[in-house]
Amino acid sequence: MPKVNHSYKVHFLPHDREITVQEDTTVLEAAHDANVYVSSICGGVATCGKCKVVVEEGHVECPPTTLLSSEELANNYILACQARVTGDLLISIPPETRIEGGKILLSSEETEGVTAGKVHGPLPGVEYRHEPLVRKIYLELEPPTLDDTLPDYERLKRAITLKTGIPMESLEAGLEILKELPSHLRQAGSRYNVPLQITATVAQRGVMHEVIRIEPGDTTQVDWGLAVDVGTTTIVAELVNLATAKVLDIEATYNSQMKWGEDYIQRIMYATERNALGDLQQSVIKDINGLLAILLTRNHLGPEDITAITCSGNTAMIHFLLELDPTLIRKEPYIATANFIPPLKAHELGINIYKHAPLYCLPSVSAYVGGDITGGAMAIGLEQEELLCLFIDIGTNGEVVLGNKEWMVCCSASAGPSFEGSGVRHGMRAASGAIERLDIAEDSSLNYKIIGNGTPRGICGSGLLDTIAALLRSGAINKSGKLVKGHTPRVRETEEGLEFLVVPAPQTATGSDIVITQADIQNLIRSKAAIYSAVATLLEAMHLKPSDIQRVYLAGGFGNYLDVRNTITIGMLPEIPTDRIRFVGNSSLSGARLSLLSQEAMTRVRDIASKMTYFDLMSNPKYMDEFISANFLPHTNPDEFPAVYQELARRHPSFN
Amino acid sequence: MQIPNVTEKWSGTVTEVTIGATKEEGGTRQKVVKVGGASCIPFMDFEGSPGHKPVIAMDVLDVPPEDWPPALMEPFKDVISDPALWAKKCVDKYGADLICIKLDGIHPDKGNRGAEEAVKTVRSVLQAVGVPLIIWGCDDTQKDNEVLPKISQATKGERCLLASATQDNYKNIVANCMADGHNLVTQAPVDVNIQKQVNILVTDIGFPLDRIVMFQTTGALGYGMEYAYSIQERERLAALSGDKFLALPVLCNVGYESWRSKEAKSKDEESPGWGLAAERGPLWETITAVTLIQSGVDIIRMYHPKAVAAVKKHIDALYTDGR
Repeated sequence: MPKVNHSYKVHFLPHDREITVQEDTTVLEAAHDANVYVSSICGGVATCGKCKVVVEEGHVECPPTTLLSSEELANNYILACQARVTGDLLISIPPETRIEGGKILLSSEETEGVTAGKVHGPLPGVEYRHEPLVRKIYLELEPPTLDDTLPDYERLKRAITLKTGIPMESLEAGLEILKELPSHLRQAGSRYNVPLQITATVAQRGVMHEVIRIEPGDTTQVDWGLAVDVGTTTIVAELVNLATAKVLDIEATYNSQMKWGEDYIQRIMYATERNALGDLQQSVIKDINGLLAILLTRNHLGPEDITAITCSGNTAMIHFLLELDPTLIRKEPYIATANFIPPLKAHELGINIYKHAPLYCLPSVSAYVGGDITGGAMAIGLEQEELLCLFIDIGTNGEVVLGNKEWMVCCSASAGPSFEGSGVRHGMRAASGAIERLDIAEDSSLNYKIIGNGTPRGICGSGLLDTIAALLRSGAINKSGKLVKGHTPRVRETEEGLEFLVVPAPQTATGSDIVITQADIQNLIRSKAAIYSAVATLLEAMHLKPSDIQRVYLAGGFGNYLDVRNTITIGMLPEIPTDRIRFVGNSSLSGARLSLLSQEAMTRVRDIASKMTYFDLMSNPKYMDEFISANFLPHTNPDEFPAVYQELARRHPSFN
Repeated sequence: MQIPNVTEKWSGTVTEVTIGATKEEGGTRQKVVKVGGASCIPFMDFEGSPGHKPVIAMDVLDVPPEDWPPALMEPFKDVISDPALWAKKCVDKYGADLICIKLDGIHPDKGNRGAEEAVKTVRSVLQAVGVPLIIWGCDDTQKDNEVLPKISQATKGERCLLASATQDNYKNIVANCMADGHNLVTQAPVDVNIQKQVNILVTDIGFPLDRIVMFQTTGALGYGMEYAYSIQERERLAALSGDKFLALPVLCNVGYESWRSKEAKSKDEESPGWGLAAERGPLWETITAVTLIQSGVDIIRMYHPKAVAAVKKHIDALYTDGR
């Protein structure tokens, strides 16, 4: 007898959203389908323990887990990824599992918009002509007469050419546009001597321009695009008004592909061995569509309103996004399918926006340095810079670019996702409730600042960096990063080893302690060591010293703020005067946004991608040695960090 | 034609470490042993001072060894169950510069002897010989942390060399060595960076650099000797280039490692084509030792008297000013 498939209702609180799902669906899947955000890092394989939810009514089947405390179990906590729906349910999502939407703050560059015809990057002085890749052009067409019998399509092209200067021969349109054209034009008015008012949406495709939409009337103010940073760990999307260049809203999610591996090499292996490239692609498309749905709902827009999307990401992530075979990326001689991806139809990939909207990928340099870096380099204006610059993007891979307008070399090191809040017990993204700054005073009192000024839920990248530096300065960890038992009552012993209490339960939003564990500290030290050793190896290859570097641009999803001094204290960056260091935030996203808004910016990105020289660290025997010596706080060679060693010795006279 | 002068000019010198204390210095040793002091790479003494000659520490076990082959048991069979007599024989008969008491018997799996017994053993050896002592734990962290402090206190003032401090376990032994005036072995398995990190960590809590001897773990001939060699060589080059955290004497454990190899320990009837076991084992130990000396070694822990004699002869030949 065939199995009867029951379906049940799952109701989510506090969102008050309900969805009907098939029996045996996991609660996590149901939440995704209902567009209810549930935090999950491992992507549903019961290893991260972040997807805790509470069963208020009903019953679920769930296997035993060690990720829930006995107290949580008693309070009907379950892991959403493990619990299967076997009846109607009422589920409430506790604060620690919820990302409260809209609380990622926009920076000033993002709200600044267009000034004097230019759009702006994260640094003053870096600006590009405002001329979006996809533009809406309001046109007034003379209606045809017996004296002027130019057909509709040619009439349209003539008007566009007159208004924009785009040569007629480089304008084209698809069949569907042609079919719609007569009726749209007539809808716009057909009375004698009254111009036909229409808005044409024109997309740049290399040297060609394609008319992708015709709308009656003037719709130039309803002009939206999406800039997406497709990160290995985090995906961030910005909703941008193409006409004003202002960012309306921003949303982020962890990349669901994480269930197939923390770094993209593991994911490539999975895709190849299991023939599962399609699954990886659908996963990232689902994430992007999820972000879109949130952004659109929150801002009362429809999918049809989005006419362009730019994506920046490392080469592997772009391969996954487009379902291109990534196998050769990890095999000698490490070849990508393409560095310069032509504009594609977003709809063909399953991205839920206007059906003819193009998707532009920022170009890569190599299999291991992608559009996140070329875009970032453009966003900080590296191609115009006279001074010798070091540009570092800290993500799951840490990419380092050294150079200026004359030359650029780059490399990539596996840094791990810890500064994005993953792989750290109470790590989180830079959203409301995240501790973004932290300091331990000389009297051992602990001060912190929270994004959104609420009660803390976890610690984001900048807070984690501060924590390591503060622990080192206060002497609560030694230079190996080992917690010192008995140093303060905050250092305490648990079954899993030592941990440091950051915020006690009564003061947190989650009702449980926020701690940093010994394992967290080691993960963060490994991440910083990967970055430092990449910088050191690249400098050595170019016969340069840290003191030769005149500017350092530090990018990454740390948060809105970064205390650059601490990057030196922990030895992530070499000892360089701090006034030469600038934190530029998520430069990959800035790159995607600027490209979306400026054809000039996109041209620059392409120039940068052609110009950058890739330097392979993995085949460099010095890299591993550099890495081990950087696996120390601040570093194994005191001579490279004289000021930090001095400061530590001053605070702890027993330190030599 | 003038031949250009290609001698290197080194900026660093290996720190001198003194092991043992005489009566005047607050101990009971008849002589002290100084190691280190080199300011050139080994045997390139036209570039600097070669420093003190490498010294040999013969191992004495607190419990009779269970797995030693006959060729190794032979010279010690009359003293094997009395560490004091064993040590005395090593010094008087075989010319050991130092005695290394290896506390195998305190290991939980090898007798689990208590601190009191271990202290008794060490005391008896101290009384039996006049040379300085190295005291080596059993490499079980917990047990070492329990026993070594007691031994440190019991030998206070003798300026022994205690082993060992590692990256994950150093506070306890450092504190005791500091309080009781001993020297310390810092250990990091074939990694020069971690070696340096351990040295920084122990000095961070106040231990003086001039009381540290480094141990990189040793591989015998055919069993990774080249790893130990290249790491020790790198250490010495770093030392001479001015890295004070690596400018410290180096110890290697040749006896134990050589006699673990099947070439050294297999019996005549097992390997008829390999030559006599009585020669083979000592040779294996000798070759391992003389090779590693080239990389820059200051203290060599050894087992077999024949090997000791050969290595001593080799050292004397190399260091005699007869060039």
